[in-house]
Amino acid sequence: MSLIKVTDLCKEYVNDEVVTPVLHKMSFQIEEGEFVAIMGPSGSGKSTLMHILSFLDKSSCGKYFFKDRDVSKLNDDELAQMRSKEVGFVFQSFNLLPRTTVLENVMLPLLYDGVSNSNIRVYKAKQALVNVGLEHRLNYYTSQLSGGEKQRVAIARALVNNPSIIFADEPTGNLDSKSGLQIMKILQSLNEEGKTIILVTHERYTAEHAKRILRIKDGVIESDEKVINRQIAQIATELAK
Amino acid sequence: MNKTSLQLAFKALLAQKTRTLLTILGVSIGIAVVIAIMSAGRGLDKMVMSQLEIYSPNTITVEVKVPATKKTSSENAMGMATGITITTLKERDLIDVGKHRNIESAYGLVIGQAVVKYQSENKTTLLWGQGYSFPEVEKFQLDSGRVYSKEEEESLSQVAILGHATKDALFGEDEAVGKTVYIKGKPFKVVGVAAKRGATFGFDMDNLIILPAKTMQKRILGVDYFINIIAKVKDREKIKETVAEIEEIMRDNHDITDPNKDDFAVNTMEEAAQMLGSVVDGLTLLLVALVCVSLLVGGVGIMNIMYVSVSERTFEIGLRKAVGATNKDVLWQFLSEAVILTLSGGILGIILGAIFALIIYLVAVSYNFVWVYIVPLSSIILAVGFSGIIGLIFGLYPAQKAANLNPIEALRKE
Repeated sequence: MSLIKVTDLCKEYVNDEVVTPVLHKMSFQIEEGEFVAIMGPSGSGKSTLMHILSFLDKSSCGKYFFKDRDVSKLNDDELAQMRSKEVGFVFQSFNLLPRTTVLENVMLPLLYDGVSNSNIRVYKAKQALVNVGLEHRLNYYTSQLSGGEKQRVAIARALVNNPSIIFADEPTGNLDSKSGLQIMKILQSLNEEGKTIILVTHERYTAEHAKRILRIKDGVIESDEKVINRQIAQIATELAK
Repeated sequence: MNKTSLQLAFKALLAQKTRTLLTILGVSIGIAVVIAIMSAGRGLDKMVMSQLEIYSPNTITVEVKVPATKKTSSENAMGMATGITITTLKERDLIDVGKHRNIESAYGLVIGQAVVKYQSENKTTLLWGQGYSFPEVEKFQLDSGRVYSKEEEESLSQVAILGHATKDALFGEDEAVGKTVYIKGKPFKVVGVAAKRGATFGFDMDNLIILPAKTMQKRILGVDYFINIIAKVKDREKIKETVAEIEEIMRDNHDITDPNKDDFAVNTMEEAAQMLGSVVDGLTLLLVALVCVSLLVGGVGIMNIMYVSVSERTFEIGLRKAVGATNKDVLWQFLSEAVILTLSGGILGIILGAIFALIIYLVAVSYNFVWVYIVPLSSIILAVGFSGIIGLIFGLYPAQKAANLNPIEALRKE
């Protein structure tokens, strides 16, 4: 069973009767435990593909099976449930709630996952923050954090539901290189622990941290290959500094 | 509406304290008006009813009128104001009305005005000449002393009952019963002091002196007629027949064959009560209509604020949906906010309304109206219920807008 199986997937936007095709008949599979980079220039359709894969958007045609489940047949509520149970998001612009503490941000997905006991919510959120090394920032407001710390909060939030897959959309795009490296390090170690990760980026260097790169251009897959000289983020010692 | 959406709603409202407070204030003013008006309505009702309370619904009045005018007292008064005095309502009529089988008791009334003197105090006062049996016909309470007797009236005794305010003006704190006052220079012995009665039909029922009707006719006015005969029926069911029969008796006594030439009118207090009741109903209806407008304005305010809130928090909504919130979760969160806003407005409105109503009460009492201060439970239920419903209705549309946002587009609005 593939985690993700896509056949002849396409997407077009209709605006005032003008049809704009974005994705053209894509087919690929992603197995559990993979670390895949979807790479392409802006306008290539990589974000649209990620939105469909992460249940935020629906395809126009073709098939998308997630754990053998036909996603194209799900309604809005079922898609919301899939987002809640199966995926975690890390966005380029962090997307943390303002005027809200780190802990509350991380607890957010648990609210919609039926975790009604607030002690359990706090416990799980603290665990996730320990995983990203932010246990000392629990009650900080997100506005008090550095960019790198914000992104680590976002990763903790993505992890808190123990999802099958993590989608990271240009996670290093708004960070300096050192913080970016930290984030890639965390993603790589999560992958080592068995999490499936899909990274969306336009940078070759960032994409090379993954194990496999899907290159997309003008809505079609240009290439799909393993990374030979994989970048390993080596900052374990720097993190301590 | 679950606990989580309520908690989220509270948090969001607390994050925007000023806006939340202003919105609540807008709603609460509408609610306060409802409460104040409903409370004032009760006060008005009490005032009107207290005016009628002196006369029971079993009361029939025979009043003089200029022939061929209409039946109502005000038009009679206009007839009399033009200088015509009807002098045909006599002792004989009173006796005959009193003899009717459905009449329990009846008395004659004359009204005049005179200067009353006690020691150095002078006061111009209304004089009510009332037959000795008036306490059997209408509600009457004494602060002290007694009512004059039949014998005193028959013997034209110069005795008087002082109205509450008249007693205060002439005697102050001193005892009045047993003292002598001078009315038109004639000595009258005070036998009683009336309890406080307030105003009835524009008459200040406390600033007057009650005398035996006959004493007043003979000793003060020098006349032999009444302006009113007031009677109480035994069986209220038969009041209509009784009125008709009394009209016949009166026509007989006055040699009238054509009802259009009646120099009297027979009315019941029930008719007066109905008339006043319909006036109060009309007023209430008008006020309710005004109140509806103010509640609607509050509702539109809620809708407006919720719209702003949804637009401002588009990103937040997108994020919530991205991490698993269903449309329903978002709908409930925003609906909860609207309902919390209106309900808080309702509660604040009840408090403000109760204060407004208290102010109205204090003003009314200072004008000597018989008024009550009640915040009716029905108004509280109406206010809270209505504000909750308004919150739901006016919150629904913005909340639906929030719920149906596309998460991808919403997330772009950071």
